This record gives sequence, structure tokens and C-alpha cells, in this order.
Amino acid sequence: MIPVIADLAATAAGYVFPNDLQVHWSLMIVLYPYITGIVAGAFIVSSMYHVFRVENLKPLAGFSLLFALAFLTCATVPLLVHLGQPGRAMSMFLTPNPTSAMAGFGYFYMAYGLLLVLEIFFIYRPTLVARHQSSTGIKRLFYLALSMGSDNLSAEALRMDRKIIKFLAVIGIPMACALHGYVGFIFGGVKANPLWATPLMPVIFLLSACVSGIAGIIIAYVILMKISRREIDRGCMRTSVKFLAGFFVLNFTFEMLEVFTHGYMATSHWETLHSLLWGPLYNSYWIWQVLVLSVIPLLLMGILHLAKKRYSLVNVLAPVSALMVLLQVLFMRWNVVIGGQLMSKSGRGSVFYQPEWLEREGILLAVVIMVIPIFVLYLLGKIFPFWQDDHPSTIRGIVP
Amino acid sequence: MDEMNRLKREIDLDRRGFIRKVLSGAIGGSLLLVLPAGARLLAQQVAGADDEPELPVPEKHFAFVVNISNCIGCGACCMADKNEYQVPDGHFRTWVERYLIDDQDNVFVDSPNGGLDGFPAGRDDVTNPLRDTFFVPKLCNMCDNPSCVQVCPVGATFQSQDGFILIDEKRCVGCSYCVQACPYSVRFINPVKKTAEKCTWCYHRVRQDMLPVCVEACPSQARIFGDLGDKESEVYRLLHEPHVISVLKPDMGNKPSLHYLGLRREVT
Amino acid sequence: MQPGYKSSPKAHVVRIVLTLAVIVTASVVLRQVFLPDEFGKHGHYRPGAVEDEANRETRIRTNESCFDCHPLIKEIHVDGVHKTVMCEVCHGAYADHVKDDQVIGAMPVASGGDIKPLCVKCHNKIVQAMPPETIKLVAMPEHLEERKFRTHHICDQCHHVHAPLKWVHEAREMMGLPLERKRS
Repeated sequence: MIPVIADLAATAAGYVFPNDLQVHWSLMIVLYPYITGIVAGAFIVSSMYHVFRVENLKPLAGFSLLFALAFLTCATVPLLVHLGQPGRAMSMFLTPNPTSAMAGFGYFYMAYGLLLVLEIFFIYRPTLVARHQSSTGIKRLFYLALSMGSDNLSAEALRMDRKIIKFLAVIGIPMACALHGYVGFIFGGVKANPLWATPLMPVIFLLSACVSGIAGIIIAYVILMKISRREIDRGCMRTSVKFLAGFFVLNFTFEMLEVFTHGYMATSHWETLHSLLWGPLYNSYWIWQVLVLSVIPLLLMGILHLAKKRYSLVNVLAPVSALMVLLQVLFMRWNVVIGGQLMSKSGRGSVFYQPEWLEREGILLAVVIMVIPIFVLYLLGKIFPFWQDDHPSTIRGIVP
Repeated sequence: MDEMNRLKREIDLDRRGFIRKVLSGAIGGSLLLVLPAGARLLAQQVAGADDEPELPVPEKHFAFVVNISNCIGCGACCMADKNEYQVPDGHFRTWVERYLIDDQDNVFVDSPNGGLDGFPAGRDDVTNPLRDTFFVPKLCNMCDNPSCVQVCPVGATFQSQDGFILIDEKRCVGCSYCVQACPYSVRFINPVKKTAEKCTWCYHRVRQDMLPVCVEACPSQARIFGDLGDKESEVYRLLHEPHVISVLKPDMGNKPSLHYLGLRREVT
Repeated sequence: MQPGYKSSPKAHVVRIVLTLAVIVTASVVLRQVFLPDEFGKHGHYRPGAVEDEANRETRIRTNESCFDCHPLIKEIHVDGVHKTVMCEVCHGAYADHVKDDQVIGAMPVASGGDIKPLCVKCHNKIVQAMPPETIKLVAMPEHLEERKFRTHHICDQCHHVHAPLKWVHEAREMMGLPLERKRS
């Protein structure tokens, strides 16, 4: 359990403060902002339709919310795994420290979860009522509870629902931004760490959140369409790729801006950052995050933009570039969370970190945690139909 | 001097009244408020509270000074500290660094096993003649503006009324945020208790009128601890006379109470 | 109420609001129940934590506490240049030796070859950074060679570990040699 000093010394270079030999925030803390980002980004897709009336995204309006909810249910799992005393996690709610950038997350997370659940409830209420009426036994009770015991789908009730949906979607945008900007600030506010301490951190986190959310939905959409042998909605695909490219260009620009500014200003911290980015982080940052997973997808999305009429090409290149930027965001989280901890606060040395497959916060558990949301999404799909055509028509309204 | 003695008597006689006077500016620039160094005087924190609580260490204003030129790097402090707190291997509440600076300004720093076993050997990678060599003992900086307290999500690490930064082992959730936030890396997660841990300037010993264990163990007076309220004390003399004295990473804005006598610019 | 529906058009909204109200109330009550005693009285922390820390066991004591039972060692120790060396640095923690005025375990006493590592922790020239004005530094085996001793000699053959110059001074006195200049 306790690493032996000799082993640790072998994985360090230069002079590292004795307590810095351990990387305290592990792979789990890489996953945490990754999952939270996907949640926030997916919500933004839904709001594009509900608030900004991007009609092309209508097919994804309901699905993106369920996608967000599926990942939201798992966002705190890596945190709990990482805590030394998970049994005391409720203290975050009990005695949140007003000056701590971490204490508010519990409240942000709960508020956001509530918002998602309510939004889904109001959007899917006609479905729930219909399913309640068409089912028997325990299922009937289940749907009765889900529909809050109300069967009223009158024009008046649905009009009110639509207003509430719009309202929730509107306040959901600043909340999604706050949720992930906040996660960025957890890192951006650590003045002791020169890689983290930048006001750009929340911005970069937010933009990469939008990227990962949209990319995740594009991939899921294409896969689900292939599985159910349906036609991919061309307009929807084109628009989502457009948004993906837009957010990604912004995200990548800010990421590069941050490094460039550090290097140009060359303060006393640059030496440390330079030795990190061209040292232990070289491969994961320059090769993977920047070259392979940013420059190539940007080129691919450029080709997509030029060849927008060739749908066979779009249907292949879109999910491929989405997958690449989804991985780009994962690498970015790794490079920030782990990278930041590789430099010792002595400013004179760095450590290396390689997660094990089977340790408590290891790779296997990380994979499991990333698979759970897919399973949750499958379960949600049993209750809430993903696609508009499967609704018992929200448009026509249902009359029992 | 007489004025100070008179003040001290006044504090002893009627602390509450004295505090009010200080607050209302009746005694401008009182010696107690001028000094930024050391664990904060209790009076400042409880001023104005009508139900003034019993103060654990009344009228004491502790300061810690490390005299770099006195340190011989023997590691007695680290050993005593590890023994006092039964610190698990590989984690350090205090440690000693060796600095070797050659005439080309190359800086060689190391701290094998935190200096716990002393420094068994020289460095064979130093080829140029050395222009400066010294040891730097490290411990909690007891900041006046502590990052760890700021970031603790649950209020498990805090600044006590007598100015010590302490950890509530029963409430710490082990999130490591304080470990990330401390610019001096004095914190770690105890692998047995799974909670954060750091140097407390031996709060439990200080409360029993004992010295911190590292100060007790130091054979060469490199670690000096005392009460700034006591004008006969070594810390009072060091911090009130002209000395080359500084704190670590002053640009962090943490305002450490731990002072270093003879600190070189190379020390981080 | 419209015909054909059992519930009113606002029923679900009202029920949601009520559910939330119940949850919020329950949370507030639960918070009061689980809040640690006097939390926040002096700041955002549990005041009991200060006492917890203050009541920690003192495992290491002072040389005085050792001298209480070892007056002969005291006599030698406080007279020598090692008077600032703490007993427990070489002999281990008081708490492992005495509990409630009862001896509960033997203290390690280094002898023979185990002594040298303890000595060179402080007196080793090779460490490079030790300030010679503060501490007497020696290099081995030069220190023995200079004095024309065999190099396998152990430190405590010439130096009493509690008062390193005691025997040296005594020997010089007996032979009528001047004392080595005492370092200040």
C-alpha cells in the first residue's frame, strides 16, 4: 500500500519535495471533470433547441437530456472512490466552507441534477401518462409515480408544461456554465500550482465541456441509429458537427493561448512549465492532445465543411472526428489534473505517474465508471423513448 | 520599555478592557498589532465578543525562527518528529534539505528520505567548487493567510483562536485539496488514517508549556521557538533587531509565521 | 377540472413543489441533527478539534525527564559538549520506555559498530553542507590516521558518547599536555 521511498525516488527527477513524491489526485480526478463536462455539454445541445430554437437539433432535444442525466448519475462516483474518508462525504453538504472552491460543488451538482430531472419530466410527461394508462401491475404503479399521479394532458396543462420547459432550459444554460466553469475554478484557483492557476482555466474547462458533450452525443446518435437501422438525420448531423467545430476551435485557441502567453511572458514559473511540457508531459500533451487529437480533427472538420453535400462522407467523418475530440478532452483533463501534479512545488523537479490497472483508483475501475453511464442510458431508454418518432406524440397531444 | 511593561500589566489585569482600547485605537500602534510575525495573538480574534471564551493559550504570541547557518543537517528534528507523531514512512511533517551552490550558480538540492537519517554521503554530481552550502529545515509555515484553510471544503482544517493551523482528524474527508493548495508541500494524506496531516508546531506540547519536539531535539539551536510577548525570548530578539530574515515564497501572499534567518534567494 | 381527466391541470406541478418543500425541510432538520457540537462557534470548525489536538500523547519528553531516573548519566551529559543533544534522539521515545511511572520497555543503547552511524550524522565532513563553525567535522579514516590510530577503532574508544572530550581531557591532564582549545 505505502509506496517505498526507493521506488518513488526512481520515478522522480531533480529535487522533489518529499511530500510531492505522491500524486494525490489520481485517475479518478481526471474522470470527474471529464464526466461533469460531458453532462454540461450535453445539456447545452438540448438548450440549443429549446432556447435558441435551432430546429435542426430537434431530434436530439430529448436524447441529449437523457444522455446528460445518465452521465450525471456517475459524476460523483470517481470522487467517492478517491476520498480518503468516503463515509464523511455528506460533510460537504453539512458544513460547506464558504471560502472553498470545492465545497459548493455538491450544491451545484444537486441543483443541476434537479433541473435535469424536472426538464426530462416535463418533456416526457405525455409519454409517462400514456405508458401508465397502457400498462398493468407494478409497471402501472411505477409510471403513476413517475407521472406524479397526474393524468392531465389537456391543452392548458401542456401549455403550462411548455412554458416550464422553456424556463428550465433558459436557467439551465447559466447553470451548466456555472457547473463546469466552477469545476475549472477548483483547479484555476490553486495559486500554488503554476499550471492550474490561470483565469483561463474555467473558460477552457467550459469550452471543452461543450466539445465533449456534443461529441459524445454525435457518437451515441450515430451508433444508436446504426443499431436500430434508422436513417441519420442529415440536417441534425450537419448542425451538430458545425457546433462541435465552433466550440472546438474556441477551445483549442484558448488552450494554445494559455501556453503561448505563459511562454511569451516567461515569468519565473515558465521554466517549471517548460520542463513539464517538454518533459514528462511531452507525449500526452504535444503529440496526443495537440497534434493527433486536435490538429487532425480540425482538418477533418474542415473537409466536412467543404464536402457537406456528400452524406456518406459526413456520416463517417463526423463520428470519427467527434471521437477524436472526445479523446482530446480526456487527454486535456489528464494533462491538467495529472500534469499539474507532476511538477514539485520545489520548482526543481518532477515525478512520473503511471496508473496501475488493478489498484483502487486504477484503470480498470476508470473503465467501469465510464461504462456505467452507458448502462444507465440503456435503462433510461426503457422508460423514456430517445427519439421523437417513438413518443406517443407530444405534438398531437394524447387524449385518453 | 516602561511603556511596554505597563501595557503587559494592563493586559494581565483586564484583558477585555484592553482589547476594547486597542480596537478603538486608544493605543495606536500597540506592539501587539504592529508585529505580523508569529501565531496570532488571541486578543485580536476574540475582540468584541461579549461571551469571551476561555482562551487556551492566553497572552502568548508564538513565533518560530529557523536559523539556517546553525543547522548541521543531522536529522535529529525529523527523527524526533517522526517518533512523536509516529508518522508513516515516506511522509514528512518536517524535513531537512541540503543546498549546495557552486561557483557557476548551479544549485544542487536534495533531501534523502527527508533528512530523517541525516545526510549519509556527499553528492558526486557536483564538479565545480562550491560557493555556498547550507541546510534548510522545513515545517508548517503557520500562515496568517493559509491556503489550506481557504480550500478545505468541510472546515476540517482551520486556524484556531490562538493562531495555529490545525486539522480535525474526525472531520477530514481526505480529498487532498489542501495538499494541492499548500505552496510549501507540508501536507500529506496519512495512509493509515486516510486524512490530511501536517506539522502543528507541536500544539499539544506547547499547550503543556513544552517546546515543539524538533526544537527540543535540535542540538545546534537552528530551530528557535518562543513567545513574542516575552521580551527576554530569543524569538523576540531575533525579530526585533536588524537581521537578514525572511519567509518562504513571499509572493504567494500566504504571510507565513515561520521565519528564516539567513535565507538565501535560491531556497524555494 | 376538464372532463376526461382525473387530475387538475396543475396537479403535477403542485405535487412537485410540495415534494421539494418536504425534501428541503427534511434536509434542514437533518443538518441540525448531524451538525457537530458547537460547530462554527469560533470559526468554520469544530471547537472540540482544538482540544483533541491538545490532548495528543506526548511521546518524546525532555532530557530532564530522563535525568530524573538517570542521575549518573546526567552528571556526565550536562558537563560535556553534547549537553544540547537530546537523549531520545539516540535512545528512542520516552513513551516506549516509561508509562505511568513504570518501565515498559528497554531503550536501545548502541554499542560497538552501531555507534559510528550515530556520530557521523552530525560530524561527517563528507556531507559538505555542515557549517564547521557550528560543529566539529571529521572525515574517516583521516581523523584516526592523523592521530596514528588503527582505522578500525570505534568512536567511543576515545570519546565518551555523552561527553566526547571527557576522556580526551582527562588523558591530556594525566600526561601534562595542554587541553585542546575548546570550541565556543
